[in-house]
Amino acid sequence: MSEKQTILIIEDERAISNFISRALSANDYRAIPAYTGKEGLTLFFSHGPDLVLLDLGLPDMDGLEILAQLRGLPREVPVIIISARDRESEKVRALDMGADDYVVKPFGVSELLARIRSTLRRADRLKLSQGIQRDAYQIKDLTIDLARHQVLLAGEEIHFTQNEFKIIELLAIHAGKVLTYDFILEHIWGPYGGSGSNQILRVNMANIRRKLKENPSEPKYIHTELGIGYRMLDD
Amino acid sequence: MRRYFGELYCRLDVQAHRIPAVPRNLGVTALFLCAAYWASSILITHTGGENNSALVFVLAVALISLLTSGYVYGIAASIVGALCINIFFMEPYDAFSLSRTGYPVAMLSMVAVSCMVCALTARVKKQATEAVRREKSTKALYEQNARLNAEKAAIQLQSDRISIRENILRAVSHDLRTPLTSISGAVSVLLASPEVSPKNLAMLSDIKQDADSLIVMVENLLSVTRVQDGTMPLKKREEMLEEVAGDALLTTRRRFPDCQVELDLSEDILYLPMDPLLVKQVIVNLLENAIRHSGDRLGITLRLYREEEWAVVEVRDRGRGLSPEVCQAVRAGEPIPRSLSGDSTRGMGIGLSVCQSIIKAHGGFFTAENHPEGGAVFRFGLPVEEGDPHAAREDVP
Repeated sequence: MSEKQTILIIEDERAISNFISRALSANDYRAIPAYTGKEGLTLFFSHGPDLVLLDLGLPDMDGLEILAQLRGLPREVPVIIISARDRESEKVRALDMGADDYVVKPFGVSELLARIRSTLRRADRLKLSQGIQRDAYQIKDLTIDLARHQVLLAGEEIHFTQNEFKIIELLAIHAGKVLTYDFILEHIWGPYGGSGSNQILRVNMANIRRKLKENPSEPKYIHTELGIGYRMLDD
Repeated sequence: MRRYFGELYCRLDVQAHRIPAVPRNLGVTALFLCAAYWASSILITHTGGENNSALVFVLAVALISLLTSGYVYGIAASIVGALCINIFFMEPYDAFSLSRTGYPVAMLSMVAVSCMVCALTARVKKQATEAVRREKSTKALYEQNARLNAEKAAIQLQSDRISIRENILRAVSHDLRTPLTSISGAVSVLLASPEVSPKNLAMLSDIKQDADSLIVMVENLLSVTRVQDGTMPLKKREEMLEEVAGDALLTTRRRFPDCQVELDLSEDILYLPMDPLLVKQVIVNLLENAIRHSGDRLGITLRLYREEEWAVVEVRDRGRGLSPEVCQAVRAGEPIPRSLSGDSTRGMGIGLSVCQSIIKAHGGFFTAENHPEGGAVFRFGLPVEEGDPHAAREDVP
């Protein structure tokens, strides 16, 4: 790609904003810093960035409000949330409102860059596919064949229950994106499926993990986002 | 006046209540009748009249009904009194007679007067006790109200204190984390830049390491202030232990990329109530402790299993093992002695006491011992069922 991809950083802490900018420019992105919510929105409309990094704790506006405004636009721009460690409910709300991913303060540069790469790649893929669903997904040596309702691990079929397959299917369709417990519960068991508890989902996930011989400390296919949800890895 | 009377009555009553009711009432009745008889006998020798004796007996009946419970004794006393007057203090003396005109009328009216006095006294008595009772209950209500107010004020103060602490902790954690994030982040940008000389590179990587361990230290300090005095509730929810352990291992691996830790899961699905961030922190601390202080970086295992009603997490290394002082301190639940957490073992003391506080707040157990085949074993268990947090297990499996 000849043109650099543009990333808008809405973050009020200058020191953090500065090192993110430096890290992004060093990795061939164009970084635009904004230090308040209002400035962020203005810069968003004037520059049309490819991705937004959004701190939820801004001095002038609620970060979730900015997210709602960005989500109200016809052009879908991926958003990565920057949030504090102990504000889980805030993160979950942001993800349910359509944020693509999140990083937690204190975060490392390599972690942030990996999230940005993955999110941009996914956005590209969505643009190319134009909403057409694929028949099969491939993650490393795992093949998820939606048409044949089949999961193959290194060529060998693994049997899953109906619900387990539905969970894998949902994660594969959204590979790379964090899906919250509530999102998965609603898609698999309907709006009242969880009835306030996500135990059913967690137990299904534990079984899927055992069938895939997945080690939670070295996830190859499904990454656990503690207290938030799950993400299927896409690389 | 009535109150005074009532109080007096109550006081007498309390004194008299040491004797059972029936013999006491009978005794009082007999006593006053005898006294009236005796007084009338004296009076009759002086006056020779019979009207005085009737008044004396009415007085006795009034006193009897005042000092006994119910109407029965008063009415009985008035009948006995009337008979007494008829027999002893009216002509013909020492014999019962209704022959003289006016005697039946005098006797009946005496009984009637006595009964009325009796009834009136009983009513006054009842009102008096009622008044005293009402006053007592008002007083009790007042006292209870005062106590409730005091309790309410204490609770208010407590919750104010908690919210102040929450706010301070939030502010402190924000103000410490933000600069540490930017220090660590800026250094990693510099580390990746080609313009830095190898000499400076070494210094930068020292800064990076120290910033990262400061971040861990800040997390530990914040958790321990949150948990230690038990005033702030844990943010408990049902969580899959293997996911928490996996996340802890990922965090540890990010900081120590060259270390090997083996994760050993049991088939049991351990889904239990906990504060996942705090439990993760305990596991991270134990792993870091093993990596930094055991001298062993390759044979560390993290094992999860269920044992009776406990979900147990075990971190084992094959290093130099623990000194008896450390084992002793952990068993006694005391902080690690300062002399043992010198420069080379920086952070070991605080790390372990944070672990102990967090596990204690969860109602779990925490142990440290040496494995017979060498190396140290740290183990903690969390109750699988939500139970009494004070019923923590003392013994060691």
